[in-house]
Amino acid sequence: MSRRNSLRFGNSTKEPKWPLFLLLALVVLTFAAPPIFGHSSSSFTIYNALQNTSCLGLVALGLGLTMIVGEFDLSVAGTYALGGMVAVKAGAGSPFIGILAGVAVCVVFGLIQGVIIAKLGVNSMAVTLGGSLVALGIAGTIGDNKSQSYDNYDVGIFLNQQIGTFFSVRILIGVAAFVAVFLLMTLTNLGRAMRATGGGRRASRTAGVRVDAIVIMSFGASAGFAGLGGVLQAYGTSTATSNPGLFPLIFAVTACLLGGIGLAGGRGGAVGIACGALSLALLSEFFSTVAAPQYVTGLVTGLLLILVTAAASPLVLRKWNESRARKAMQEASMPQTSSDKQSISIGE
Amino acid sequence: MSTSLSTKSMVNLQSASTAKKITVLVTVIFIALLLFGTLTTDGFYSTENFKAIINSAALVGVIAVGMTYIVISGNLFSLSVGTTAAVSAMTFLWALRFGMIAAIVITVAFGAVVIGLQGLLVGSTGANPIIVTIGAGALLEAMATWISGGVSVYPPADGPSYAFLYNPLFGVPFPVYVFIVVVIIGELVIKRSKFGRGIYLMGESPRAGRTAGLPTIALTTGAFVTAGICTAIAGILLGAFNQSGTLTSTGTLTVDSISAVLVGGTAVVGGRGSVTRTAVGAILVAAIGDMLLLRGYSPPIQLLALGIIVTVVVVLSYLNSGKGSRS
Amino acid sequence: MPEELRLEMLNVTKAYGNLLALDDVSFDLRAGEVHALLGHNGAGKSTLVKILSGVVLPDSGTIKIDGVAVSPRNPRHAQELGIALVDQELSLVPVLTVEENLLLGSARTSRRQAASLRKQLRPLLDSLGLEHVALSSVTGSLPIGEQQLVEIARALSRDARIIILDEPTATLSDHEIAKVFSAVRGLTAQGKSVIYVSHRLGEVLKLCQRATVFRDGKRIGTRNVADLDRNSLVEMMLGHIPETVRNASAEISDSAEMLSIRSLTIPPRVQGFELDAVGGQIIGLAGQVGCGASEVLRALAGLVPDAHGVVELSGVRLRLGSPGRIRSSGVFFAPNDRKEEGLFLSHSIANNLVATRIPRISRLGFIRKALENANVRKLLDLTGIADDRRALAVGVLSGGNQQKVLIARGIDQQESRMLLFDEPSRGVDVGGRSDIHNLIRGAADQGNVVVFSSTELDEVLDLADVVITMFAGRIVSVRPRSEATASNVLTDMTHGAEVLTS
Repeated sequence: MSRRNSLRFGNSTKEPKWPLFLLLALVVLTFAAPPIFGHSSSSFTIYNALQNTSCLGLVALGLGLTMIVGEFDLSVAGTYALGGMVAVKAGAGSPFIGILAGVAVCVVFGLIQGVIIAKLGVNSMAVTLGGSLVALGIAGTIGDNKSQSYDNYDVGIFLNQQIGTFFSVRILIGVAAFVAVFLLMTLTNLGRAMRATGGGRRASRTAGVRVDAIVIMSFGASAGFAGLGGVLQAYGTSTATSNPGLFPLIFAVTACLLGGIGLAGGRGGAVGIACGALSLALLSEFFSTVAAPQYVTGLVTGLLLILVTAAASPLVLRKWNESRARKAMQEASMPQTSSDKQSISIGE
Repeated sequence: MSTSLSTKSMVNLQSASTAKKITVLVTVIFIALLLFGTLTTDGFYSTENFKAIINSAALVGVIAVGMTYIVISGNLFSLSVGTTAAVSAMTFLWALRFGMIAAIVITVAFGAVVIGLQGLLVGSTGANPIIVTIGAGALLEAMATWISGGVSVYPPADGPSYAFLYNPLFGVPFPVYVFIVVVIIGELVIKRSKFGRGIYLMGESPRAGRTAGLPTIALTTGAFVTAGICTAIAGILLGAFNQSGTLTSTGTLTVDSISAVLVGGTAVVGGRGSVTRTAVGAILVAAIGDMLLLRGYSPPIQLLALGIIVTVVVVLSYLNSGKGSRS
Repeated sequence: MPEELRLEMLNVTKAYGNLLALDDVSFDLRAGEVHALLGHNGAGKSTLVKILSGVVLPDSGTIKIDGVAVSPRNPRHAQELGIALVDQELSLVPVLTVEENLLLGSARTSRRQAASLRKQLRPLLDSLGLEHVALSSVTGSLPIGEQQLVEIARALSRDARIIILDEPTATLSDHEIAKVFSAVRGLTAQGKSVIYVSHRLGEVLKLCQRATVFRDGKRIGTRNVADLDRNSLVEMMLGHIPETVRNASAEISDSAEMLSIRSLTIPPRVQGFELDAVGGQIIGLAGQVGCGASEVLRALAGLVPDAHGVVELSGVRLRLGSPGRIRSSGVFFAPNDRKEEGLFLSHSIANNLVATRIPRISRLGFIRKALENANVRKLLDLTGIADDRRALAVGVLSGGNQQKVLIARGIDQQESRMLLFDEPSRGVDVGGRSDIHNLIRGAADQGNVVVFSSTELDEVLDLADVVITMFAGRIVSVRPRSEATASNVLTDMTHGAEVLTS
């Protein structure tokens, strides 16, 4: 109807389209640019990016769910480490028990954080900062403060074996998680309730949405996906690290913001997060293809994170809304163009 | 209209008083645990150990004083102080070639600018302080690696002597004096200055601060600049003590300094707290770490303990503020 | 009984502290009627609405729906009882699509029910004149008026028997109001009952069958609208207000400040606001909620970034949109929401009193205790709060005393030139109100330009030297106090639509 709708996927997903274009641009960059520097890319580049995304992308997926409901889970790097460590320790006999244990511990951990946040109304960043220390502490304690190797190498070989040109078992598990979230959010009321919770907590409660349950669930899911990412990483490399540092978190936040999930909540979905995560993974593949030094990736990631955070800040959102409102007003004041809607400031 | 407001405030007062009771209870339990733990730890109550505690509290404490300004201003935390301290140490050792005074001035200016810029971004756009500082930390680390070529920085062989920065003075390590001076100045400025008053008011309610005409962008930037100065001072002490500067020397400075602020009882929500409280918090955090170390627990257990303490303190501070609880 | 009663409220009482918001009130609603609730702010109508919609519980009294006694426990329960409320404040989620908002909260229905509900949405929107709005439009991108209609559509989709519309037209254009009217008529044709809360008498006379007037927590009377006209309604609402005539303070000193406002526009609410005033004068902006008076004050205080126009204070142009600068050019603003953006609630009374004059009590960047104490003592004296309470958190004070702190904070400043008070005595009892008015008059006598806004008629008549009535973002009339009467001001505040369109 209004022009703005043409920038969206359609009725079912309500995700912005630009993360897709971004991803497309990066695919082009990954293949078109290296020859200039005397290097070349292959289908293996894509495979590599997907391999990386299969673990860190899941961390982004988890964090993204909490961002959609208007909260923020800083503890994903902690649960990422925790999941991997628990899986390595508990999965000595059977990898399935390891996966189950790793994910279950994390889900419980996330649910506890969710209850504190939803029921007491405490700022989620402050709670999950403490939570991330607890998770890293537990991971370090059971891992004896060092990396632990997983002796069942067959599991790693199985997870990493290439399927077709682009896929591996590990990648397919990651894809399955994204698809599952996408279907849950589009086919059931869940997606609507989550975005409502993030977009207007009070209005949603008035309308009868079970806001607290949604928040608690999203933190459980966040920790669960981050934990699954950690399990895949640990099994895939046959090592669990007890302190992964801030990198998984940085990757996840940047991926989510690039994927069109604002900090204000209420926007985005699984497709956007996938695009954001893949774009970021491709970017780092690009740098390794052109043999750029390690710090370049850090430089670009840090800068990118600051830029997208500033772009998603209240001031920029307000300016954007204002300019759009002014434009709509001008168009509306002209005859016969009244189909364009005047927009209001959402950022307030 | 009025009437509904007054009943609401009564509800808040009631929950505030239960929150007070819970806080007292938790504090008593905490002190009891600490006393029990320390009394049953061999060698905890000795002059040598106290010196070790106060010494390790000093470095964290200096950063935590700066962090207190950010927390009270209502901007949560900075997650880039650890990296900034490490890079400040590198800057200091490198700049020693220009003389001691110049090196200190350069390093402090560096810290103030690096963290102050983050404050300017947060204050002027309202961008989320935690994410901005995470990004800035990553950026700073990459830039430092780039410039230093990834190798440690050593002081010039013919540079001025900086041994006084870590040698004991009258039997007490020099950083402890620095810590005491920073705490006194920090407390004086935040309690008595125009700037400090503005930070308290803005932290209590940014909207009311704006309406009252407070210069909110300048205040936020100022809080971050203060944190930058403190972090740089800690970096100087760190560099002098290690006699070399590397990026990996940050350890747990960020987490410890945040914990010190929170354990001291400064509210996460902003508007309340003090630098003195943070000093006490820094000593408590150091004492807990020391006790666990003496009892033979590994660093992850210390992390776990800190995590639990931080979470409990955060929840309590929300209950007390009444900002989190919904009626 | 001639007609079937859909709703009966018998002897309902609700007190907040020692203030009786509803005093033994009875009310009934027939099936298929539109029933107006009238009365100015604090009369009790919003408490009645809150009780019906489950937001607050009554202290005593009975509520019956179709003869069955009920007691709505919470908003969700009220919905289940068939009561739907369309609030003044929008309760839509702006980032969701229209369809999602319409379905929001109906999650308990089965998939099949949801599917059938979805089929009804299109005709429902069409019936409200929203044919051009796609179900997939993002709600926040619609004009406010259309959002209001979407919210009404949501209430209708819930199969409610009793629909409460609380000031549904406050933000709508005439064209949109017509759509709401036809929707309401459609509802009553289906036998549903509508409670219509409005300040706009013209709408009440046009749309409603009966009207109940409230004043001071009591029901004054219920009449058939057919037997009423504007004058009789105004009379019922006014009741006791005496027609005092007060003359404007005459003497205006030479050094007085001059305020001139030219074509002040604040999108989307206010257009072309103009005003001239001199120091010592108290200008009262009178109008209902949403009339734009509050926005004008906020814009003058620099708090509305996209306000534009020429505002000059004694020849110096104010930079709209920058609160710090405006503050330092001697303009002080007291907001209407003292809890959210006025006071620093957990800080001491003393700290709050000097919050706007920190530069004045400091030397070389540090606060001078002696200066601070002197200022605090003087301001405490003005507010009448005992000196030994200065260290108490301002949040523990009564509403009236909090408001006095907020007002006192802005007056008695050497550098002040213009004072702006948005609803200066909101939520304050009669005694506190006269104290506050005296503080404001004192400030005006010192030569400041004073502009305040109020939705309460008695306050405007008590305080203003010049009464400006506003309606839908425009000035309706400007009268010196000597020519302002309760009925002509109330008429302008409430019948603005006719004045503007005729």
